[in-house]
Amino acid sequence: MAKTTYLLKSLKIKAEKEMLHAKDLKELDIAFKQYLGDDGELTLILRSLKDMPKAKKAKIGKEANELKNFLNIKLSEAAATLKEKAQKEAELKEWFDITAPGKKTDVGHLHPLTLVRRKVEDIFESMGFSIIEGPEMETEWYNFDALNIPKDHPARDLWDTFYLKNELLLRTHTSPVQIRYMEKNQPPLRIIAPGRVFRHEATDASHEINFCQVEGLMIGGPASGYPISVANLKAIIQEFFQRFFGKSAEIRLRPSYFPFVEPGFEVDMKWGGDWMEMGGMGMVHPNVLKNAGLNPKEWQGFAFGIGMDRLAMIKYKIDDIRLFYSGDLRFLNQF
Amino acid sequence: MIFSYNWLQSFFSRKLPKPDKLAELLTLHSFEVSEVKKFKSDHVLDIDVLPNRAGDCFSHIGITREIAAITNYVPAGHLPKGDKLPKNNKNNAKDFISVDIKSQSYCPRYTARVIGDIKVGPSPKWLKDRLEVCGLNSINNIVDIANYVMLETGQPLHAFDYEKLDGKKIIVRFAKEGEKITALDGQKFDLNPKILVIADGQKSVAIAGIKGGKEPEIDEKTKTIVLESANFNPTIIRKGSRELGLKTDASLRFEHGVDPNLTESAINRAAYLIQKTALGKAFQGLVDFYPQKVYPKRIKLDLNYAESLLGVKIPEREVKNILTRLGFKVIGIKNPLSVEAPTFRLDISIPEDLVEEIGRIYGYDKISSVFPTASLVPPKRNDDTLWENQLKDILKEAGFTETYNYSFQKEHGSVEVENPTSQEFKYLRPSLIPNLLKNIEKNIKSFDQIKIFEVGKIFTDKTEKIMLTGVAAGYDFYQLKGVVDLLFNKLGIAKVWYDDYQATPAAEGEPRPFGREDSPQSLWNEKKSAEIKVGNVEVGFLGELKNEPKLVAFDLDFEKLKTLAVEDQEYRPISKYPATVRDLAVLVPPTVKVEEVLNVIEVAGGSLVIDVDLFDIYEGEGIPDGQKNLAFHIIYQAQDRTLTSIEVYKIHQNIIKALEENPTWQVRK
Repeated sequence: MAKTTYLLKSLKIKAEKEMLHAKDLKELDIAFKQYLGDDGELTLILRSLKDMPKAKKAKIGKEANELKNFLNIKLSEAAATLKEKAQKEAELKEWFDITAPGKKTDVGHLHPLTLVRRKVEDIFESMGFSIIEGPEMETEWYNFDALNIPKDHPARDLWDTFYLKNELLLRTHTSPVQIRYMEKNQPPLRIIAPGRVFRHEATDASHEINFCQVEGLMIGGPASGYPISVANLKAIIQEFFQRFFGKSAEIRLRPSYFPFVEPGFEVDMKWGGDWMEMGGMGMVHPNVLKNAGLNPKEWQGFAFGIGMDRLAMIKYKIDDIRLFYSGDLRFLNQF
Repeated sequence: MIFSYNWLQSFFSRKLPKPDKLAELLTLHSFEVSEVKKFKSDHVLDIDVLPNRAGDCFSHIGITREIAAITNYVPAGHLPKGDKLPKNNKNNAKDFISVDIKSQSYCPRYTARVIGDIKVGPSPKWLKDRLEVCGLNSINNIVDIANYVMLETGQPLHAFDYEKLDGKKIIVRFAKEGEKITALDGQKFDLNPKILVIADGQKSVAIAGIKGGKEPEIDEKTKTIVLESANFNPTIIRKGSRELGLKTDASLRFEHGVDPNLTESAINRAAYLIQKTALGKAFQGLVDFYPQKVYPKRIKLDLNYAESLLGVKIPEREVKNILTRLGFKVIGIKNPLSVEAPTFRLDISIPEDLVEEIGRIYGYDKISSVFPTASLVPPKRNDDTLWENQLKDILKEAGFTETYNYSFQKEHGSVEVENPTSQEFKYLRPSLIPNLLKNIEKNIKSFDQIKIFEVGKIFTDKTEKIMLTGVAAGYDFYQLKGVVDLLFNKLGIAKVWYDDYQATPAAEGEPRPFGREDSPQSLWNEKKSAEIKVGNVEVGFLGELKNEPKLVAFDLDFEKLKTLAVEDQEYRPISKYPATVRDLAVLVPPTVKVEEVLNVIEVAGGSLVIDVDLFDIYEGEGIPDGQKNLAFHIIYQAQDRTLTSIEVYKIHQNIIKALEENPTWQVRK
């Protein structure tokens, strides 16, 4: 009898130790089977009770059942600990660093001046302006004479010009498109003419030999029921700048001189507390209308020219116009 | 141009607004003031006088008139007409000097006075101060007064030492070939018959309207002077100034034009000041060549038109008031008004000019914005823009970056620039490729792969056209071909095909411009390039670039693309029945084109072969020498039924049979 009691004691120590030291549920299961399974050591002892003498049976039975209960408790404790541990390990394995950088997608980029041009075109198209283009190589007539800029007049000095050996010149502004369009189209009309223009000058952070401009022209007249006025010009230009730069963009007109308009203005926009020159504009000069084949008594309207490089420079806070034509991908890939 | 605040103030008894405020007023109503800065006890205003207003506003009096009109202050100080010369000299100028002007077309007016008994010496302080503020050096009292009156009135004046004039005459003529002159500052000039000069009986004594000569210079011994106040043809002065590379305060004013009526009041003003400060005594009479007097213009001003142009109704009283303040005379009482423009306003000739005067003084800020009440005509669609935007978007989606390059290049153009800014920009670009190559070169150190494109004009003789060109590094022919296929696909151009690159011989006498296949500067590696064609039309090139084996490019004629592009797109119904894929490998000689094999497969396969996909080209180990292996996925599908394996088998066998009809082709089984 002492032998069985001893056996139970040593079983207890062994079983408890194995259960506590099981590294995972699988090992715990082995320990369970070893002691409490169908052929487990304790199960065998309990099964052998029925053949024991009554007194021994009572004593050993009690001890064995106590041990069984004890081990069952230990088992579930160990199982709980192991489950928790397993879950922690699983969690650790699944742990995911969302702060690691994303992988770069191979995307292309449109030039900032294309982005600006699209925005300009969208705004004016929404106000009924058609988009018209014209040649970059021009004649003296379209670039100067027709625009009321006579030969040998100091006003021509306002436009430093590239002359070509094929008797043409590189347009110094998009204004020739006004004439070309009016020649072929009867008013009332509303157009913008975006495009590249050229100036023969030294380049620096704010000057380039080629840059982009957008010309605008709106012609109406008493005959069509709506003469176009300075007040109209102000409204259209203000709308444009506010749609382009946001509602806070404030504009003002101040007197200026361009031979193809009368009255003529410079438009300034208040940006960051300062007034910045944004473009030239005015009411189309009667001589220009005449040169394009329109009767100035019947038609009147406004024209404007805005530098698109300047729009882009302000919008994206670019301080050097030359970056646009540098082909530097470190610059272009930012857009 | 530099103006003195104190000088401007001197014309008014009322205190002018502070310099900064005055600058703002001038900016909003007249001319932009680019700088205001303190100068000793004065302020300097740097005013950007508009070129059409140089005639009257390159002068303190001109700016004074502007200030008077803006502020409604009445100038009380001196204005030139007020000066009366004391008659204390009995000599008559006409007896001492004769003036001979060959043609009024180059000198519409020449006014001269003779002043005797003068004492040349340093200028008084007030005079020196005024000149100093305006950036002029003081020379002596006579020269200083001439300059002072110019700054005050805008009329350039010049003084000659009477004793040094040969023959006591003044001739205005063009210089003779080979004639030379030494200017006041010692600079020597070679003259020519395009340059107008003032001469005495012997020689040139001044470059007319530009600079005085050394010879009849005023010095301490000078007793009698001839004072010149003349008017010259602006174009002649402008050309002369350019010819000599010499711009002066006088030439600047003359080349913009000056009122001929100004000579007289200015010369009287100068004579008056010389009498006052250099003890001179003016001779009687004014020598005056002025054959065709300029009278004020009258312009009809319809107030209704003014209102319709400005978009605001300005009361008639205010209109008249503004014009009067500016020196105009309003003559009519009823609309339309008759307005007389003073002759110093060379810029005014049509009613619109008057409308500008009224508008700017009234204040553009007071004109409220009003949207035009135009009829609701939607804008015309611009197909060029539409397709250009579409093409750019496709390339961007394909990972290309857009660049903008100069329209110029160093060499090989057919359009040469007459006046290039640098040797790098001597020609207009005949192709977008050279500048794109420069972009690659610039970026290659920072990037492993570069894919860039540009849409821009190229120039040949008198024509220009838009090209769409892309260059890629770290990319191969077939990758780029895939991009070109994508472009055509998205433009709805189905009939695109790639032809062998071949030099189209130029017709006799036809120029071979840069970049053309047969030109000496062809850009393409003939062996690895293709001509891109739609039907029979060549629309561009694709391939490796000559001398640049690591770069591939495409060059497309945008003008042709846009006429071929189709916007409509029809969807192809997706079959409800499953597709079957069979693979096929065929051994062919190395020079057989994939397209030839594809054609055979497609023809033999018929309509149930819906796609053939080349997935491998291989030569080398395991493949017999002198052969290459092409491997295809052939996809079979019907719209109306599930294809049976027998059907597919039959077609597949047909394909194999067709391929093997060519004795050098062998389908691998």
